[in-house]
Amino acid sequence: MKEEILLGNGAIALGLVESGCQVVTSYPGTPSSEILPEVLRFVKREGLNTYVEWSTNEKVALDTAFAAAITGKRAACSMKQVGLNVAADSLMSAAYLGTVGGLVIISCDDPGPHSSQTEQDTRFMARLAKVPVFDPSTPREARDMAIAAMEISEEFKIPVVLRPAIRVCHGRQNIAPKGTIEPNEKKGTFKKDPLRWAATPNFRLKLHQELNGKLQEIAERFGELHDFNRHDLEPGRQYELGIVAGGVPYAVVRDILAEKNRNDIPVLKIGTPFPFPEALARTFMSACKRVLVLEETDSLIEYLLGDRSKVLGRLSGHVPSAGELIPDVICRICGDVLRELQLPQLDQEHESNALELLNSLEIPGRRPTLCAGCPHRASFFAIRKAKPKAIFTSDIGCYTLGINMGAVDTCLDMGAAITMASGFYQSFSQDKADRPIVATIGDSTFFHSGTAGLLSAVYNGARFILVILDNLTTAMTGMQPTPALGIRADGSKGKEISLERIVAGCGVDYIEVVDPYDMKGMVESLKKASEYIGEPEGGIAVIIARHPCIIAYRDDAIPDRKAVTITEDCVECNLCLERFECPALYQDEELGRTNIDEQVCTGCGVCLDVCPKGAIVEVER
Amino acid sequence: MEPVNIVICGLGGQGILFMSKVLAHTALEKGLDVIGAETHGMAQRGGSVISHLRLGDLESSLVRAGSAHLLFSLEVNEAYRNLSYLARGGRMYVDADGDSFPRDEVKAFLDGKDVLYRNLPASRVAIELGSPLSSNLALLGYFSSFGEGPLFHDELRQTIEKISPERFRENNLKVFDAGSRWGKERMER
Repeated sequence: MKEEILLGNGAIALGLVESGCQVVTSYPGTPSSEILPEVLRFVKREGLNTYVEWSTNEKVALDTAFAAAITGKRAACSMKQVGLNVAADSLMSAAYLGTVGGLVIISCDDPGPHSSQTEQDTRFMARLAKVPVFDPSTPREARDMAIAAMEISEEFKIPVVLRPAIRVCHGRQNIAPKGTIEPNEKKGTFKKDPLRWAATPNFRLKLHQELNGKLQEIAERFGELHDFNRHDLEPGRQYELGIVAGGVPYAVVRDILAEKNRNDIPVLKIGTPFPFPEALARTFMSACKRVLVLEETDSLIEYLLGDRSKVLGRLSGHVPSAGELIPDVICRICGDVLRELQLPQLDQEHESNALELLNSLEIPGRRPTLCAGCPHRASFFAIRKAKPKAIFTSDIGCYTLGINMGAVDTCLDMGAAITMASGFYQSFSQDKADRPIVATIGDSTFFHSGTAGLLSAVYNGARFILVILDNLTTAMTGMQPTPALGIRADGSKGKEISLERIVAGCGVDYIEVVDPYDMKGMVESLKKASEYIGEPEGGIAVIIARHPCIIAYRDDAIPDRKAVTITEDCVECNLCLERFECPALYQDEELGRTNIDEQVCTGCGVCLDVCPKGAIVEVER
Repeated sequence: MEPVNIVICGLGGQGILFMSKVLAHTALEKGLDVIGAETHGMAQRGGSVISHLRLGDLESSLVRAGSAHLLFSLEVNEAYRNLSYLARGGRMYVDADGDSFPRDEVKAFLDGKDVLYRNLPASRVAIELGSPLSSNLALLGYFSSFGEGPLFHDELRQTIEKISPERFRENNLKVFDAGSRWGKERMER
């Protein structure tokens, strides 16, 4: 079949459908978000019957896939690495219970980090849960590993983790699909066995022992999986230095050694770091005097190799303990190690000149910013205007960029806008101190993990303003639908879930829906909400700031397009540039005042309410 | 064929991913293996975006500093920011007016590395044709007009024709052709 250029996430999706996966669930999060849409694309193209869903969070996704897997089907769920934290409760227990069919949990890591709150290493989560983990180096290998993971899972009746890092997920590579994919028609059955599926602690000990037995067998199998675990030692030869590498760093070091013709340095590739292919590693270690370990993001292989006297890595200080192992970093590490061991260098041209030059140019940094016309910008400006002294707890999504506008003080994890607002309230109220608090959370994040925090805050008598920034989509991760829209992953109709009813159901008595494009109206609403909080019978006030995302809904997001200009009344106070921070506004040096870039301006007209001198005005189009 | 390393940079929303896609598909049509890396997520909201593309028998998707044979930049500051990727003797194509790129101190650096640089006011070309978001294709057209490979004018044009969404196809080709004409005129001068 003709080769296609697939995103790594597309390659994983291809592997899943080729393995006959019947159920795929997910909650979006960079770098995992494209897996489910790519599954759907293959399902439609090949006429398959695979069920796909956007679940409300990662735990829901994993539980749902797990249930399918214990009916004997092949199932998978995908998420980003911090999403696996949310699903950890499910993962730990599922490892003990095991499966009947196949269950592959895809958790995408983000060394860097590029778009995450931590650089945590999913391989350690797999180790903690005691389930096998595959660590692909390239999109092509990710596809092969998705298939292998499904087969190992079904054969040993154990959940298996596939851990691609961002360079695999968002890498692109040409890949040849197998050919026609047949639908997997296997029917689900559920054989009741409460001692297993509802096992009490007594039985959990037995299940734990069973799990250990499975891992032992899988470790032996992994030793023979030469597609994924292999070395290039020449028989009988002894080496001064060998490299043990997994994941993306393997691909990088393989290319560098090939480019430099360094066949004096053998490489052991570890594609399945847990359970560890011990025998293979022992052979490699005994042929090398010293071994350099290159892996992301933490030190799993390094710990498992044991022999401290031979191993160079993070624990010995040879590899940085934070940040992505990009090719330049790997070159530097190899250079340092070769120098230390007095071995021939990589003859690398130094690029420090370019970096020094760049520093001397003082190029302004480009920070990400909310889009021109983004309704969140209007909300944040109104919030700062109405409650300038408040503590602003916020959350995970595009709107974390409200930090640029001084309207985001905290961002901990999904749902923490609400739980931290509650914590701040209780902490200050203990001191009889009155600190205003405004929490902001996106619609999808609220569905993901807002409700438990909100009802706890209501129950415990917290008082703050919660603004739900409802842009009718999951914007940051690529415009996936939310439950409020009543559109499911495959485009079919689902039940529309009302935010207002959920909020009311959590016990909130004060709910108002506003359109943030009406900035004056929103400021008024915030002030009214603030009064309510101060009343003796007051509590949490929820404002739903509802306006469609400018990227997802484009023209529909701006029904009344306005032409805007800046008059000579502009005194260059820069308030609009710094506090409103619309990308369409810029300092026009020729004109000597702020100006509007018409190519960027969306005509939302929100800035008309921003200038204290009234210098931003509407004009005839 | 020796591996070819390409870096494409600019800002979120400038169509860097589409430009990479055109190059990658063209390479694949020629029977080359391709591997690349893209920026998604938070960084796409108007921040710096970079796309790596490598042609040949390779496993790693990232271009190492000092190894890019080709560098495309849709914005001048991003061109400066990514200078360190350029290999000795590399070529760079920048969306910049007239001689506004490079600054003198950068010129010395580029000359010292035998880097060939060429500017096109790609955004202006695209705006004049009513497609302000197509500066990416103007720059590609410009690149193609010099016929220096490894991907050539007709191959790139065919890919654009093939992979452009229906409603953008005609305009995309128009902008590509305009960029290409600029290059030819420059060569004749």
